[in-house]
Amino acid sequence: MTALYEVSGLAKVFQRGPAIVRALDGIDLEIEPGEFVALEGPSGSGKTTLLQILGALDRPSAGTVSFDGRDLARLADGDLAELRLRAFGFVFQQFNLIPTLTAAENVEVKLAPVGGTRERALELLAEVGLAHRADHLPAHMSGGEQQRVAIARALSVEPRVVLADEPTGNLDSATGGEIVGLLERLAAEHGSTVIVATHDAALASRAPRRIAMRDGKLAALAVA
Amino acid sequence: MDLSGAHGSLCVVFYVRYLRNELVRRRGRTIVTLVGLGLGVALVVAIASLSNGLDHAQHKTLDPLGDIGTDLTVTLQPQQNQGGFGGGFGGGGAGRALVQANQSVITDLSKLGKPGTHFVHDFFLPGTQLTFPQSAARQIATLNGVAGTASGLTLLAEHQEGVVPKIVATLKTQAKTFTVTKRVRPSASDFAQMQACLQKQGITINPPGTNGGKSGGGFGGGGGRTRVFSGGNRQAFEKCLPKSLQQFRARFTSPSQTLRQVLNPPQTNITTTAYTIGGVDPAHPGMGVVTAAQVTKGSFLSPAGGQQALLATSYAAKHSLKIGSKLDLNGTQFTVVGLVEPPLGGQSADVYLPLKQLQPLANQKSLANVILVRADSSGDVSRVKQEIQNAVPQAQVASSKDVADRISGSLVDASNLSHDLGLALSIVAAVAAFLLAALLALSSVGKRVRELGTLKALGWTQRMVVRQVAGESLATGILGGVFGIVLGVVIALAVDAFGPTLQASSTTGGNLLGLGAGTARTATSTVSLTAPVGAAVLAIGFGLALLGGLIAGTAGALRAARLRPADALRQVE
Repeated sequence: MTALYEVSGLAKVFQRGPAIVRALDGIDLEIEPGEFVALEGPSGSGKTTLLQILGALDRPSAGTVSFDGRDLARLADGDLAELRLRAFGFVFQQFNLIPTLTAAENVEVKLAPVGGTRERALELLAEVGLAHRADHLPAHMSGGEQQRVAIARALSVEPRVVLADEPTGNLDSATGGEIVGLLERLAAEHGSTVIVATHDAALASRAPRRIAMRDGKLAALAVA
Repeated sequence: MDLSGAHGSLCVVFYVRYLRNELVRRRGRTIVTLVGLGLGVALVVAIASLSNGLDHAQHKTLDPLGDIGTDLTVTLQPQQNQGGFGGGFGGGGAGRALVQANQSVITDLSKLGKPGTHFVHDFFLPGTQLTFPQSAARQIATLNGVAGTASGLTLLAEHQEGVVPKIVATLKTQAKTFTVTKRVRPSASDFAQMQACLQKQGITINPPGTNGGKSGGGFGGGGGRTRVFSGGNRQAFEKCLPKSLQQFRARFTSPSQTLRQVLNPPQTNITTTAYTIGGVDPAHPGMGVVTAAQVTKGSFLSPAGGQQALLATSYAAKHSLKIGSKLDLNGTQFTVVGLVEPPLGGQSADVYLPLKQLQPLANQKSLANVILVRADSSGDVSRVKQEIQNAVPQAQVASSKDVADRISGSLVDASNLSHDLGLALSIVAAVAAFLLAALLALSSVGKRVRELGTLKALGWTQRMVVRQVAGESLATGILGGVFGIVLGVVIALAVDAFGPTLQASSTTGGNLLGLGAGTARTATSTVSLTAPVGAAVLAIGFGLALLGGLIAGTAGALRAARLRPADALRQVE
């Protein structure tokens, strides 16, 4: 069985004014389908950038990122959008819900382009325990609730991969624990691979596989 | 994968709901955008309509004769050296005659009725246009290039009303003493008679000289035998006096003398109001000093030309007259059948009567003082003008342009203003509306870059994102445009209802031959400023708002949607 992701020599360079920032600097990595992976590292270590390249939100500066045998760097914008729509589900630190849409409608944002129904959105909200909040606007929900809506949205299309960027960063530790637990359980149920970026070692420790990052490179795991 | 097909309609329902939610739930932003767009569109609509209205008013001033189906007016103006009018005009009189005619209004109180009775009288004065036989119109009609003529009579009228005053003068003369001095001498026969009479009474008077040396004139002679005067003889003497001496009679003529006393003017309440009156041939409703086209209410004079009258709207309003009101002109009752908006220029009047009715009223039987001429084509006007001038050298021939040049007032100023500024303002307003729409759409998109980035991260294509934002811009544009049109129409209606009135006056005559300004004919036309809203204006204002919003919204969305989702997400809200 081939790896889901095959990353080799991946580099990403940003121009920040006069300075050149090497966000990613020679990453080699393989991820198997169904894995639950934690990307650990302090802020600025390149976790988010790696996650965005893996999720087809950005293109690498150098190296190859092969997803399911296709080189993401060579795909057209339309194909990348198609991948994002059907193969990936994103969960953000800031939740990134559309403020003018209700919980159910926010799930529909992802479902509508693939022809998903409102009923399906309500089912997913029920799965994350928010059936009663379906018609509430994000502004009227707690951070934990908003993130659960985001998880429902990410899983709505049965994606191959769920990419979560600091999903607990804006939540208290108890809620954060719940969110990660939910993510673990649902990803298993939906058969999705999960890659979680976090700087929280306690959270990362729950993952079966942990990848440490420092200064844009993979680092040896500091085993406690 | 194919997103259309069975799932297509479901998607559309969601996209529309999303669009609606964006507009409804971001109410503040939507309202600001709608108000901004609305004001822009309203401005375009209002300014363009106003400009339109001014153009309309201007047309009315600049083509005053066009409204009355006429290219030229022919009148006779008195001139200092004018001695009658030769040629076919033949009649009339010189300037002096006109002055006399205009002064005929000096009220002869004795002719109005018995002192103390109420009188109403209308005097009709020719003003500054001399009258001439109506037949002159036929002479002009035969000229080359003349399509038609109509004659009219426009007069100044003085309406006088009041009580005939009673004038009582009291003359007091001074006492006079006449002194008459006359010598009374009896004649010889008187004397003989007297002597005989006295002798009968026994008194003898010797004739002078008969008494010899005895002098003693008179009756007092000496003693002697005769009785002389004594008391008892007095009666006898009186009795014998000749008749001519018994009673003195003399004739005298006192010297001629003029008695003068200043009389206080009698107290009267005679009021005089001036108005203008025009005579129209009702058989030709398309041409005349007023035409059927100017009737704003009611109907034109019936072709038969009965005792009907038309009133200028302003005059009717001032005197609270309406259709059906009766007008009494020196005992003849006229029924008001219509209200008219008379054209500008020298031939407008407050009251219009059938020419045949006005002529006898004004003692101008078969006379007219203006001939309206229509040329075969507008290109012929100047040539026809020359022809008339040649045929009738004394005539004043005025074209529409000549009349327009004499028109002055706020309307003309406003028209010029409108011409210079109206277009510029319309363009400025339109550009402002366009920019405003664009700016609002851009700023709206600018604030949503992260949201659009999220949509892309969730798998939306660039096309879907742009379509969504463009849809919002379109909806906002339509709503803002509709709001603007409503607002603009309201403004235009408000201008119609409360708008300023513009005036244009045209003065003919003036201080001519000592005729005061009072006899000059000043036609003042008040044109209420209107703002007719045209469909084109509405479409332009609406289109601009729509296009501005759509273009800017789409451009902004395109820019945001083209960003890599990672870059868009990185944007701080």
